[in-house]
Amino acid sequence: MTLTPEILTIYILDGLFLFFATIAFILSIVIIKDWDFNATTKLQYSLEKKSYLTSTIIKYMFYIKLPFFLFFIFTLDNISLILPGAMCGAGVVNSNEYATILMFLKLINLYLFAYWILLDAQDMKQEEQPYLKQKFFIFIGLYILLVLEISLEYSMFSSIDVKDVVDCCGAIFSTNDNTYLSKALSLSPWVLLGVFYMNFAFLILSAIYKHPYIFAILNLFFILISLLSLVAFFGTYIYELPTHHCPFCLLQYEYDYIGYFLYGVLFVGTFNGLVVGFIPFTEIEIIQKYKISLFFNFIYLVTVTLYPVLYYLNNGVLL
Amino acid sequence: MIKLLNVSKIYDKNVIALDDVSLTFQEGELVVLKGVSGSGKSTILSLIGGLVKPTSGEVLVDNKKISKIPDHFVSSFRQKNIGFIFQKYNLISMLSVAENILLPLAPLNLSRLEHKERLAKVLGLFSIEDKRDVVVKNLSGGQQQRVAIARANINSPKIILADEPTANLDEKLSIEFIEILKELKSQNRTIIVATHDPLFFELDFVDRVIEVKNAKIVL
Amino acid sequence: MKLQNIWFVVLACKVNLYILEYSIKYIFRDKYKNIFIVIVMSLLVALLAATLFISNSMKAKYNSIIDNYPDIVITNQKALRDSTIDENEIDKVLTLKGVTSVVARVWGHYYFLNADKKFLILGRDEFETYFNPLLNQKMNINKESMLVSKDVKKILNDNYYKKYFNFIKSDGMIEKVKIQNTLDLDTSVKNPLLIIMNKDLAKNIFQYKNSEVTDLAVSVANKNEIAFIATKIKILFPNARITIKDDLRVHYENIYNLRSGFFLTIFIITFFTFFIIIYDKVSGLNSEQRQEIGILKALGWRVSDVLNAKLYEGSIISLLSYILGISFALIYVYVFNAPYLKDMFLNNYNLLPDFKIAFTMDYETLALLFFLSVPIYIAATIIPSWRVATLEADEVMR
Repeated sequence: MTLTPEILTIYILDGLFLFFATIAFILSIVIIKDWDFNATTKLQYSLEKKSYLTSTIIKYMFYIKLPFFLFFIFTLDNISLILPGAMCGAGVVNSNEYATILMFLKLINLYLFAYWILLDAQDMKQEEQPYLKQKFFIFIGLYILLVLEISLEYSMFSSIDVKDVVDCCGAIFSTNDNTYLSKALSLSPWVLLGVFYMNFAFLILSAIYKHPYIFAILNLFFILISLLSLVAFFGTYIYELPTHHCPFCLLQYEYDYIGYFLYGVLFVGTFNGLVVGFIPFTEIEIIQKYKISLFFNFIYLVTVTLYPVLYYLNNGVLL
Repeated sequence: MIKLLNVSKIYDKNVIALDDVSLTFQEGELVVLKGVSGSGKSTILSLIGGLVKPTSGEVLVDNKKISKIPDHFVSSFRQKNIGFIFQKYNLISMLSVAENILLPLAPLNLSRLEHKERLAKVLGLFSIEDKRDVVVKNLSGGQQQRVAIARANINSPKIILADEPTANLDEKLSIEFIEILKELKSQNRTIIVATHDPLFFELDFVDRVIEVKNAKIVL
Repeated sequence: MKLQNIWFVVLACKVNLYILEYSIKYIFRDKYKNIFIVIVMSLLVALLAATLFISNSMKAKYNSIIDNYPDIVITNQKALRDSTIDENEIDKVLTLKGVTSVVARVWGHYYFLNADKKFLILGRDEFETYFNPLLNQKMNINKESMLVSKDVKKILNDNYYKKYFNFIKSDGMIEKVKIQNTLDLDTSVKNPLLIIMNKDLAKNIFQYKNSEVTDLAVSVANKNEIAFIATKIKILFPNARITIKDDLRVHYENIYNLRSGFFLTIFIITFFTFFIIIYDKVSGLNSEQRQEIGILKALGWRVSDVLNAKLYEGSIISLLSYILGISFALIYVYVFNAPYLKDMFLNNYNLLPDFKIAFTMDYETLALLFFLSVPIYIAATIIPSWRVATLEADEVMR
């Protein structure tokens, strides 16, 4: 069990989140149980006040979790220095079974918390507060996910054994083994690129023809194909090494931390795209969301395309 | 139009502030609520302004049941439609006149230009342009009163609620205040003044005088 | 696009500049209380930051020292105690793929009774390359002479050995060695009581027979394979103790982490005490302040507006404290060389007391400090701010 100051910090903040989330959780249950919009009793007024506290807590957690997630990745990278064999976060993630689920869970939670905040904002725009019970129900689910995330995080850090030799990303993301990942990575780049760009084209179409649900689903696909194409194709141009398929190394200093920019932009774009399928927005708001989503996804697309293009212009050949 | 329907308000410790009161105020009316301290007239103002919710009964403003909607929206409603003038001015003494007057606009997040324009208009209306950047605690009572009135008017509210506005003013300033009130009435605002200052009871531009005594309306 | 709009676009969250202005002015209106909070919090942050900065600098220094260690060291053991190894075993090691070179090292300690001091003796061969750059420098050592460090020279001088020294060997015989020259050493080197001499001479003094040497230093081509090759070596030399450079690194990393972990724990306790104090201070509004909230609500500020005002207030204060704390720590550690605190790190480690802490900046440490100060402070203010924001306007104005 290693206890670097970074890990200790993560534990401390996790504890803080757990404490406040539990308060919000208890309040959510109380509110769902007794909320009666039409009542003019003292109880109802106090429930109203409590709902403000809950939404404040959730907002606070989200706005801290966002940069904290980056810090988490930094920490993983940091641990890779003491873990023999690991050269970047990928090795650490691969070194124990909790880590991969944890990564996904953290990402999903970010999307879900952001969704909750947006739902809350919508709810507060209308006097009848139509989504009130719904949003607190959803938070109860979120709370469970949060507790899961924190326990996984604790388990993961406490089971990192510095005596184990782990694979580095070269081994994990190789195209030679018989895993799904390697099969996906060895798909022809043209297929991947084709799907990637076409997905974006469909995004534009579904926005023009105003199909919010299709737009949301296409955004979901876009996340998947973007990550896949990044790891399989575009990443190799960022690293300028045809066998380097690691999604983590992008976050390191040597590559100008481009990973943070790419992932950030992708998150904003796809989040805004996904959300139109789940929250009833007004016409104007949906159009705004289309624009934001397309804009950020486009920036992602352009940035990621630049690398092979520039490489070709500089070197005359492709990898 | 403002309606109070069978409104009762009981505070903690069983203090009955209002007991089954029903009132209607028409648009553009200037009504004086007459009564001694503690009679319940201030409570009526608080109810209309949505600062408190009634223990029973309903308060409707322009057919909106403000006694039933959540605090978040009541505040927005109050912000757009109601201007308060308090007995003790209730200005923030360490801030300047301009800062005090602009406070109600903060939540709206308007442009700075808009702020400037409205401020200028309202400073002019109440003749306090030269005091724009003076810290409020350095002003005289009468000047502070005008700042309070200006603040109440920055949003051009439809309803103005004044709670004992002349209690801290001498006769001269009280008369000045009444002049301002006349001016506001001429803009077709609904004005409700809660006071026990007899100066108000005989005014010709007052539409009604309602007496409030022991938590009830005296008919 | 206005700055606010961009923020809104990214995450449905608008920073209301007017409320922010109000918060800033509010902070200045309550100067003394806020200055007190900022000072205390900055000092806490500074303390923690200083600990981490010192620890980081030492880690960096130590890492650079370790860089000069061999990739793998093979030390023979008999009855699980360190013993000498036969030079000829080098051939066995060279058969392993990935090993670029093996050097038979001769080194050890000599105890000088009169001065009650231990000297470190490094044996050197003109034609060998070593990991330690000190030994790779061009130096002409006479077969009967030695080079000594300044401190050794001083000790010898004090004991009347001016031009030579008599080593007493284990068989009682004396080996007289001339002092050829004094070494110029980097003052932060681990062991300043250093003597460098010809390898054979060292062997003589230690009374190594024939092809006995102290240990074998192995160099590996691909640094990622060190662990792997080490396991192979273990199979070849089942009785030996194999030390890997990375292990050393990890070992010291852990020690420094433990140290800073210790301080961190103390810090946390202090901070939670502070948490409670802040909570208390923020909750305790006097009647004038409560009235102000009532006024704001009467003017149409919603609960969320008042809450935001309070949260902006907390954010500004904690951010300011964070920045100040870091600044204090930077000055304390890198300008004044961290008096008092430094000694708490140094007691067990053989670095000299007048070690100058080198400047290393680690963004992760800054982020860590941020997460330990700002979110915690804001968390302490959430419930009090909410209580304040949900005060009934009517109550406070009566």
